Amino acid sequence: MDKQIRNFSIIAHIDHGKSTLADRFLELTHAVEAREMKEQLLDNMDLERERGITIKLNAVELNYHYLNTDYILNLIDTPGHVDFSYEVSRSLAACEGAILVVDATEGIEAQTLANLYLALENDLTIIPVINKIDLPNADIAKVKEELKKTLGFKEEEILLCSAKTGEGVEDILKAVIERIPAPKINKNVSLRALIFDSYFDSYRGVILLVKVVDGKIKIGDKIKGMAKENVFEVVELGTHKPKITKKNILESGEVGYIAAAIKDIESVSVGDTITTIDNAATIALSGYRPMKPMVFSGLFPTEPNKYEELKEALNKLKLNDAALTIEMETSAALGFGFRVGFLGLLHMDVIINRIAREFNLDIIATSPSVIYEITLTDNSTIYIDSPHKMPDKVKIKEIKEPYIYTNIIAPATYIGPIMELCQNKRGIYQNTDYIDKERVNIHYEIPLSEIVYDFYDKLKSSTKGYASFDYEISNYRVSDLVKMDILLNGEIVDALSVIVYKDFAYSKGRAIVNKLKELIPRQMFQIPIQASVGSKVIARENISAMRKNVLAKCYGGDVSRKRKLLEKQKEGKKRMKMVGNVEVPQEAFLAILSEE
Amino acid sequence: MAKAVYIHIPFCRHICSYCDFCKFIYNEKWLAVYLDTLKQEITDRYLDDEIATIYIGGGTPSILNKKELNYLFDIIKIFKTTTDLEFTFECNIEDINIELLDILKKNKVNRLSIGIESFNPKNLKILNRQVTFKEALEKIALCRQKGFNNINGDLIYAIPGESIKDLKQDINLFKKLKLEHISAYSLMILEHTKLKVLDTTPIDEETDYLMFKTIEKKLNKYHHYEISNYALNGYESHHNLTYWLNEEYYGFGLGAAGYILDVRYENTKNLKKYLLKEYIDNEQIVKGKEKMDYELMLGLRLKEGINLDKFHKKYGLDIKKAYDLTNVLKNKDLIIKNGYIFINPGKIYVMNEILLKFL
Repeated sequence: MDKQIRNFSIIAHIDHGKSTLADRFLELTHAVEAREMKEQLLDNMDLERERGITIKLNAVELNYHYLNTDYILNLIDTPGHVDFSYEVSRSLAACEGAILVVDATEGIEAQTLANLYLALENDLTIIPVINKIDLPNADIAKVKEELKKTLGFKEEEILLCSAKTGEGVEDILKAVIERIPAPKINKNVSLRALIFDSYFDSYRGVILLVKVVDGKIKIGDKIKGMAKENVFEVVELGTHKPKITKKNILESGEVGYIAAAIKDIESVSVGDTITTIDNAATIALSGYRPMKPMVFSGLFPTEPNKYEELKEALNKLKLNDAALTIEMETSAALGFGFRVGFLGLLHMDVIINRIAREFNLDIIATSPSVIYEITLTDNSTIYIDSPHKMPDKVKIKEIKEPYIYTNIIAPATYIGPIMELCQNKRGIYQNTDYIDKERVNIHYEIPLSEIVYDFYDKLKSSTKGYASFDYEISNYRVSDLVKMDILLNGEIVDALSVIVYKDFAYSKGRAIVNKLKELIPRQMFQIPIQASVGSKVIARENISAMRKNVLAKCYGGDVSRKRKLLEKQKEGKKRMKMVGNVEVPQEAFLAILSEE
Repeated sequence: MAKAVYIHIPFCRHICSYCDFCKFIYNEKWLAVYLDTLKQEITDRYLDDEIATIYIGGGTPSILNKKELNYLFDIIKIFKTTTDLEFTFECNIEDINIELLDILKKNKVNRLSIGIESFNPKNLKILNRQVTFKEALEKIALCRQKGFNNINGDLIYAIPGESIKDLKQDINLFKKLKLEHISAYSLMILEHTKLKVLDTTPIDEETDYLMFKTIEKKLNKYHHYEISNYALNGYESHHNLTYWLNEEYYGFGLGAAGYILDVRYENTKNLKKYLLKEYIDNEQIVKGKEKMDYELMLGLRLKEGINLDKFHKKYGLDIKKAYDLTNVLKNKDLIIKNGYIFINPGKIYVMNEILLKFL
């Protein structure tokens, strides 16, 4: 008899214990012996472990014996953060069920909801679990109430556990088997396998992670992605347990990997359906919500001769991260670089960090931009992802910008400050849901461009960290936007241009100019900094000429001290970019981000 | 061949708030062992070159008692010296008395360097020092009486809270002392000092600069021969010129720095190690390009600048071949005139910025 299969995910808000729970599953099913456990095994990128977030998803096959039956439980991990919600939706597309983890001390948070909605869109069976019940401040009754009232679960559906101590974890595995339906198995039809992720392996090329929905795939099969024409021959198949376990065949219902000497990640894209050349399927599986980069930034090497290295780094990162888009960009100020599209700010931050860390490259990132939809006077429409692609004002009929729909969950006492913040960010109030007597979910529509700046930080500070936030893109709306230029020493610095809401131009111009004054060190001549819209200067500051840079005294012939000081200053200069004849520190190019 | 010797006496009666140099509170027992070790170090490391300048600095060398001073000068007899030796001894005003001056005179000290720093009570409080103008006037008169005719006074400016007016008052009083040499240092708040620990805010750059200019203007009777140093003609410090001319010198004693046979070294600042005769903390061979870098970094501190012929002789190539000076000469950051290359006098206070353009 065939082994029984269950495909499931864990969804949770950040820090609610998803990765710890996954670790307990691995231990319980002996996929990993306790002594081999690194904490949070599924987070295998350094950055992931450091920040406690899961970025790339993983799929692990667990073997579990229950009521005289052997089960294969495929645990497909999901990222918790909003930026990666496309990855959540990808992994959910490969599942029949999901465990919804809620922290017993925190209750439902914004990402709990966002991910739950994604799961419901995929018709998944949800198992609600309250985690961290061992903590002294756990309020199980209250969180249960939230789950029942807000999400409509029944009392008897809700499981309790402590992923840390292991209490209740086995019951969750049992519920996975009992409640989540087995995948529908159709072995004797044409192959259809959903690619839900891929990664690049230097020896084996692109590795596809798939869920085989229909039929079977075996070594030697000629396959293709239904959206593309390239044909590949399967050279290796298997599953992750989490160590690689090779197989000769993957059948309907199974989750595993395929290696087929695929060199280019673009030739088989995630979300596509794999079928065989012989006996090809005709209708592709419905994918999932496709990923779309929402935030764009120019990335430039600090040293111009590092352009090729940056190119190589980005291409390597792209091999594992199909969500990145890369396009060449030239800046008068910064030279050759790339316009890179990210899913969101965290994604951008992660990539920039990885370039620095894994490739040891110093880069300058310019202020992030969203995609604007511009209707020209001849009624044609263009999309721009960068201020310097903005057409001349006289050619523009109207500009639209993307808005998001928010879930902001916070104690009701913070409704005032949150609404004030959203209002200041040009938010349009929608409504407020009460999760329970004390907590609310506030819905606004806010321009994405406003979130890209300092929204997270402001939200955190105005709610003392009690608010959680998530969003989805809702629509494009017409806005009165202008391009604002920044001039250093009379020259426009293209990399500092930014598109702003017209009524905010003055205050933003002032803020940027002040920030730049603070960040750009004094130099041997006075430097005017100006913000202008069109030809009109709306803000101006001067950086006074440097007056002193000398070591006053050399004690007792200790001149090496002076030399060290010079060396240090020289190092500092390396982190500067010459823009015209002005030395600008890297941070200045992101000055626009923080208005304070 | 080195012709300069610096000797460090790392003991003080009290600790000044700005001083990050190597020092300990005076202790008779330690001093005796210290001088023993100093003698040993000099014996071990001195290469019998003829010495033209000796500088005894600190710390506070003037706190040594008669016996200790005699011992110290005994040690110094190890050096072969030129007939026109410049021999400087650092003193605090409070330590100056007939007995000290007699010993110094007897032992061929012919230049005194006196740490005054300021006469402004507000400044002195911040610096943790004590001196009055009256006392300084009397003590310096005593020095004159005893035949010392080459005296330097240290002045510190840009002290938090100090105004241009305060500084002008200080300079006026300094001028009344009729010193041959004045070292005017802008206060630096350095790591491991009391000022740093107290998180003292330095004076703003603009005021610092204006003060520098004020001193330059008010001391116009003096030759402003180096960024921080002013001298009556002929009274420039030969010892300090050794440093600026990138010539070699010995450094003896705890924490002293020296430059001998192409090696720049720093002695240990750890008294225990020093007493165990582990004198050197680190050393570095300085040759070729690096030596040239030092030549510029130091030589350009001098108003006169670097002699182009001497540079060519020393390194076998033209300074303009060794460095790309096109832009700095075009911008008039550096000027070439009468066989010398020097920093534009109007830009000397941003000298590091200029050096960084071509070093």
